[in-house]
Amino acid sequence: MATRMIDRNGHRWGAAISAVVLYLGLIFDARWVAPVVLVALGIGVVFGLRYSPLGATYRFVKRTFKLSIPVVPEEEPPPRFAQLMGFAFLLAATIGFYPLDNAAAGWSLTMIVAALQTLLATTGICVGCEVYLIGKRFSARSAA
Amino acid sequence: MIVRLLVAVAVAAACGALALWWRKREGRLVEADGSFDRRDLGIGLRDRPCATIVEFYGEGCAPCLVVEKRLDHIAETVCDLRVVRFDAGERLDLADRYNVRRVPTLFVTDPDLRIRWRASGVPTEDAIMNALLGPEWAGRPNPSLADSDSRS
Repeated sequence: MATRMIDRNGHRWGAAISAVVLYLGLIFDARWVAPVVLVALGIGVVFGLRYSPLGATYRFVKRTFKLSIPVVPEEEPPPRFAQLMGFAFLLAATIGFYPLDNAAAGWSLTMIVAALQTLLATTGICVGCEVYLIGKRFSARSAA
Repeated sequence: MIVRLLVAVAVAAACGALALWWRKREGRLVEADGSFDRRDLGIGLRDRPCATIVEFYGEGCAPCLVVEKRLDHIAETVCDLRVVRFDAGERLDLADRYNVRRVPTLFVTDPDLRIRWRASGVPTEDAIMNALLGPEWAGRPNPSLADSDSRS
């Protein structure tokens, strides 16, 4: 089965949006941003990145302003895994915020996601994608 | 709120610094040593391309597609250049032997398959051309310089 492709620009745009939202959440002590971004990432992880609300905003802006930014195709599995990593961190952060009422732990975990999203948005470095590829190499090595 | 603002700025600044550092070294061709085995590259004993570029790519690697396009363009421009590509995931033996830790990684060799340059990441087309056609043509005199010498 052919691997599904996504537009790398949409992935980076989504990372920029979520990073800004998370930074603003920290500045204004709005803990609810963690579960909100968690749900946005979760939708992408479960249904595929083309259904991610973060990526949808990119397509909306591109269409509305008739931007002729060329599509940069990328295979979906590595960025989807990266979103899964972000999801896991934000899930832990949400648990830290709400049931445990531990703001320090919650914001620390949230800032890890914000930092990784900033890196992706500004440089294209996708740490989660690299982890995915390293994992694949390890699994191929152990299978060999 | 000021403390939180400072923390947010500090995290963003740290990411910015890391990004700048990364950009500086990403895709930079550095001199390297070692040599490739002809059998690994499928190049016969009598075959002697002017230079060989060996690229290790990975499945699902978007930057590898950019490198691939650039190499295709260079291969059209530079005559007698050999481009050999390996899927690092499938050829773990070669990736280990040539110390490839991430993809894309590319090597520029001279006609004897001695490694002259290597880069991890996405080098610019100019950087690759410079490695090939710089003061030394992958180890041999640059043909364009040789032409101008013979004319003068």
